[in-house]
Amino acid sequence: MAELRSWRHRRAPGEPIGAATRESYYGLPVIHGPHWHWPIVFYFLLGGLAGGSAVLAAAARLLGGRSARPVVRAGRYLAFLAVLPGPLLLIVDLGRPERFHHMLRVIKLRSPMSLGVWGLIAFSLSAFLNALRQAVDDGFFGRSNRLVRGFQQLPDRALAIASTVPAFFLAGYTGVLLGATAVPLWARNALLLGPLFLCSALSSAAATLSLLLARRSQNDRAEQALAQVEFLALTGEVALLEAVHRKSGPVIGRPLRHGAEGRAFAGARATTATALALHGLALLLPRRWRQRLELPASILALAGAFLLRATMVFGGHRSADDPAATFALTRSDE
Amino acid sequence: MSSTVPVGRTRARPGAFGFLTDTTLCIGCKACEVACKQWNQLPMDDFGFTGMSYDNTGDLGATTWRHVAFIERISDREGRRPTTLAPFQSNWLMLSDVCKHCVHAGCMEACPTGAIIRTEFDTVVIQQDICNGCGYCVPACPFGVPALSPFDGKAHKCTLCYDRLKDGLEPACAKACPTDAIQFGPVHALMDRARARVSELRAQGVEARIYGDQALGGTGGIGGLNAFFILTAPPEVYNLPAKPELPQRRVLPAFLTTALAALALGIATLFSFRRVGRMQHG
Repeated sequence: MAELRSWRHRRAPGEPIGAATRESYYGLPVIHGPHWHWPIVFYFLLGGLAGGSAVLAAAARLLGGRSARPVVRAGRYLAFLAVLPGPLLLIVDLGRPERFHHMLRVIKLRSPMSLGVWGLIAFSLSAFLNALRQAVDDGFFGRSNRLVRGFQQLPDRALAIASTVPAFFLAGYTGVLLGATAVPLWARNALLLGPLFLCSALSSAAATLSLLLARRSQNDRAEQALAQVEFLALTGEVALLEAVHRKSGPVIGRPLRHGAEGRAFAGARATTATALALHGLALLLPRRWRQRLELPASILALAGAFLLRATMVFGGHRSADDPAATFALTRSDE
Repeated sequence: MSSTVPVGRTRARPGAFGFLTDTTLCIGCKACEVACKQWNQLPMDDFGFTGMSYDNTGDLGATTWRHVAFIERISDREGRRPTTLAPFQSNWLMLSDVCKHCVHAGCMEACPTGAIIRTEFDTVVIQQDICNGCGYCVPACPFGVPALSPFDGKAHKCTLCYDRLKDGLEPACAKACPTDAIQFGPVHALMDRARARVSELRAQGVEARIYGDQALGGTGGIGGLNAFFILTAPPEVYNLPAKPELPQRRVLPAFLTTALAALALGIATLFSFRRVGRMQHG
């Protein structure tokens, strides 16, 4: 029974009931933190990967022509495979998993989680259709039977274009979801988290596709395009990480500076910045040198995306448990 | 609190019911906690000593819907031990904390299943047959009220004794309170009473204020609290946020910046792929 409400563990260990916590109730948290753990970190990561892959596959399908076919194929399959565990991870995380379908009772425009459920369904459907179309083209179901001819009626370009809206939504809504809470770290950065998660989604998807395609070709035009997307998305990511760091300030930003979350955040900033620098350097070098720089850059970009999600999810716990952070967010203006 | 701030303004509906918890009358007997536990058949909490105060409850939770905080003001805000006492006040502050039943409730707007509803009494209730324990209401509450129960995995909080209200009874905590520190009734009538009480206390030299109107507590789109309080110290002393904000106010702006970022990244992606196909033909 002692474990039922072990609130004692929620006070920052070693912190005296002194200066920072004097204006609180014995340093106890003002708000209740989220219960989200690793399943949600991986859901955020895979959701971003899926959304980013779908966007890249769509762009490659629309503009890429024949030489971008590998990107379209890998992107469509990756989008579908990455989103598959999503619903499972979310259901596992519920207090009552057998009631997951209660999410489908309502649509609430002001609840990012409600919108997110419907967005996830829309994306899953579109990713499935895109992957199915790709599989038909790749001859997975044979070449000329009635089923294949039927599936080939699916409008290829229209599917690609239609997938971009739910793809961007899936990659970005999680940031809005975190921002629409009372957790100081998330609330203070509400306007930045969506764009940050989007940038990270696109850079990690481009990185994964580059790694998947790296062995089979000699850094052709399509791969250069992927590298360029990664470079641009990483630029946004590095800038937004800096913006989050500054906007959080000394009190609310405490989880970004101290402890395991602080190290993870520093790691996220370091890996994304290094990945960006490597990509920048690769652009200046002759073509045959590029791949050697772009491979480690892609691995670093993926690591950065993972560290960012872990920092934000677990940093939220730390932030919610810090009464000084809540008061910094809600102090009266006078 | 400056005197120009309009005191006691709330957006509560005319028919709304709620609590006025007057901390100047609270003697810290915890009868409300016990009555709540008994009526709502709530399981026991961690049976231990906090080691910090006489309060061994700690905070509100899934199995604690009333929590009496014992605040011993050992030092003032500058860290000095006070040598004089305010009239009619000891150095003890008692606050029976409870769900605020916000006029615009963050938990209710966050709930993706529609399990959290507003009743005919304008109170906020979690329907236990609908809740699937997603836990989004928990961090969406600016006051730290709802919590997930380890017993059944669902979110729980004060229902303002919905079942008792249905039968024309007042909530168990208000019924049990021996000093009438917890008063139940129509919100607007309670607000009038609170305003009179605050001016009475101020005439006696007590630095009293209402927590839960649109100037303090019920701020930032929350529109007021149907369960509100009379405090004699800054809200932070009671672990209450002075100017909380309805978290869902940030949803639309955040979606807008995210959409802008999506537009920019979409253009960047198309820009990056623009020459891939062209090389094919040329």
